[in-house]
Amino acid sequence: MASVLEVRGLSKKYPKKDVLAADGVSFSVDEGEIFALIGPNGAGKTTTIRMISTLIQPTGGDAVVAGHSVVKEPDKVRENITYLPDEAGAYKTMTGINYLEFMASLFAKDKDELDKYVERGKAICGLEDRLSDKIGGYSRGMIRKLLLARAVMTEPKLAIMDEATSGLDVINALEIRKMIKALAKEHHMAFLLSSHNMLEIEYVSDRVGIMTGGKLMAVGRIGELKERYEAANLEEVFERVVKNNEVR
Amino acid sequence: MKFGNLLKKELRELITKQALISMVFTMALLIFMGQIMGGAMEEGFDTSKITLCNQDDSQFTAGILKKIEASKATEINYVTFESDDYAAEMERLDIKNAVIIPKGYGESITEKKEPALIKFVSKMQAGGITSSISTVSGADVIDEIQNVCMNEVMSGNYGLTDSDIALIREPMTTVEYTVNNGKTAQVSASALGAITMMQSMIAPFAIFFLLLMASQMIMTAISTEKIDKTLETLLSAPVSRMTVLSAKMVAAVITALMNALFMIVGFAFYMMGMMGSATAEMSTAVNGIDSSVMTEGVTNIGQAMADLGLSLTPLSYVLFAVQLFFTVAIGLSVSLILGAMATDIKSVQTLVMPIMIAVMIPFFITMFMDVNSMSAVFKFVVYAIPFTHTYTALSNLMNGNMLVFWGGLVYQIIFFAVCMFLAVRMFTTDKLFTMSFSTGSAAKKRGKKSLPNEQ
Repeated sequence: MASVLEVRGLSKKYPKKDVLAADGVSFSVDEGEIFALIGPNGAGKTTTIRMISTLIQPTGGDAVVAGHSVVKEPDKVRENITYLPDEAGAYKTMTGINYLEFMASLFAKDKDELDKYVERGKAICGLEDRLSDKIGGYSRGMIRKLLLARAVMTEPKLAIMDEATSGLDVINALEIRKMIKALAKEHHMAFLLSSHNMLEIEYVSDRVGIMTGGKLMAVGRIGELKERYEAANLEEVFERVVKNNEVR
Repeated sequence: MKFGNLLKKELRELITKQALISMVFTMALLIFMGQIMGGAMEEGFDTSKITLCNQDDSQFTAGILKKIEASKATEINYVTFESDDYAAEMERLDIKNAVIIPKGYGESITEKKEPALIKFVSKMQAGGITSSISTVSGADVIDEIQNVCMNEVMSGNYGLTDSDIALIREPMTTVEYTVNNGKTAQVSASALGAITMMQSMIAPFAIFFLLLMASQMIMTAISTEKIDKTLETLLSAPVSRMTVLSAKMVAAVITALMNALFMIVGFAFYMMGMMGSATAEMSTAVNGIDSSVMTEGVTNIGQAMADLGLSLTPLSYVLFAVQLFFTVAIGLSVSLILGAMATDIKSVQTLVMPIMIAVMIPFFITMFMDVNSMSAVFKFVVYAIPFTHTYTALSNLMNGNMLVFWGGLVYQIIFFAVCMFLAVRMFTTDKLFTMSFSTGSAAKKRGKKSLPNEQ
């Protein structure tokens, strides 16, 4: 399958910091594939994701989304992605439906497209009547559902999600995971996820990349990684990769 | 279309129901205060009604009262006090004040030829200002009686004619002239001063609020988006950062103008209420004693101001508007930079401080002092604050200090260009996400979690 995202030696050095926040990170995500970046706090996951989302600029390397470089054509990249940050909020003075309409208006080329996006968003978030209420009165879980619906309603080539199910209860989280899998399989959307939840990653992703100290230490299918690190599950793989790195 | 949607969204965020209510409430409060003050003053200066208790049955007193009634300028409401317990009597008669002419008043003046006693009783009012005004009112009523009484004594005791009396009462007429910028006009300097003070208070007040409102709004708009991480979502959407930035600035200007408009309408009503009677007094000062030509008086003051070069030409208004635009633009660009540094609500409050100080210092200095007459060093420091030039613009334009005005405008344009360059640079680079300023407690809290932008 064609690759939607090609990350090539992506690096980031923040001013006044001695170490690189991301150090020569390279991986790719194919159409319809779910790729997860995992790693401890401060590993460089969010920095990598922010560079791919065109929010911050790389100090080295490049990432190409649907044929467009994040360095040279960030505007084109943004037409092909959606980004859902961790612990993100939504505009409290808007109603749920206003929010979907507003975000859709930034992506849609015409009214028909806008209506299509909003209808899809409404169906995905499952908030029904509550959509006409102000977001200020929503619970954390409701906001997360709305934001998730927003991130996939435009069916971007690549949806980037930082801790996609944070703040959701077990049932809702499960629904979201199923939805992500279905969108990847049926609509060929590619997903780049970042999470601390190994169970979730193991369930939802096709391939994972383990980051620590700004470097991508291991990339592969979960089965391959388990074999390579002689681990029973992804958690053990993660532990071994991180510890190996610490020893070095 | 995207700009329109973004602008709509920003306006919806800024002009909430609560914000509208507070705008209307502030305006209503100012109008209400103006009316109370105006009402109190009118009541205070109103000498057309007297509540009077006449306990003297002399011919002299009857004659005076008849004269007062005949002048038709004053209406007398006669009451009878049945005892000396004034509190009880006032309560019984339901009156706020009363003049009491005691027994022997006429006899004292005509027979004994010595000053007679007159009493004025008034009820203490709850409000501070209204109570002081009712005392003024009492003095005015008694003045009126005293005038008629004086005329009676002069004509009755000394046989003077009406023209003799008029000459004694007013042996001279003062004509005042004021000189400004080498021009002279026939007007009293104090009357002009009061009017220019009114003008020079309304404009800075508007500037002050406009600046603070616009700055706070853009700061809150940027920082809230950053704190809630809605900014990351927005900036990863297919819309240019400059479009997001300009929508925010335009929305802040619109909201600030709305706020300023409500505020100024309220303030103008308040000032009108306060100064209404004062203006009447001023026009009397110009035209002599006849207060019926009040409107003409005001026109004359306007004419005098034009003669003295104190009125503003349409070009001056345009220039002032240009300067006001750059003032707001500077406020917005500085706030944008500061707002983007905020990491929590507490830090927003701290970050507003530099703007508030920069707006307040010149506001108060220009209100109480003339910057141009200060020492060179102090003048330099005060003029280095870009907002000073806006506060002094009107007086510079009025007084023809064009060099100072243009210098100020050029300085503001340069200042704005630098700030805007920095703001755009910050907004279009990583700095938007990497720059931060946080209060101690917030930094401590985040320290435990590790900074997201350093991951």
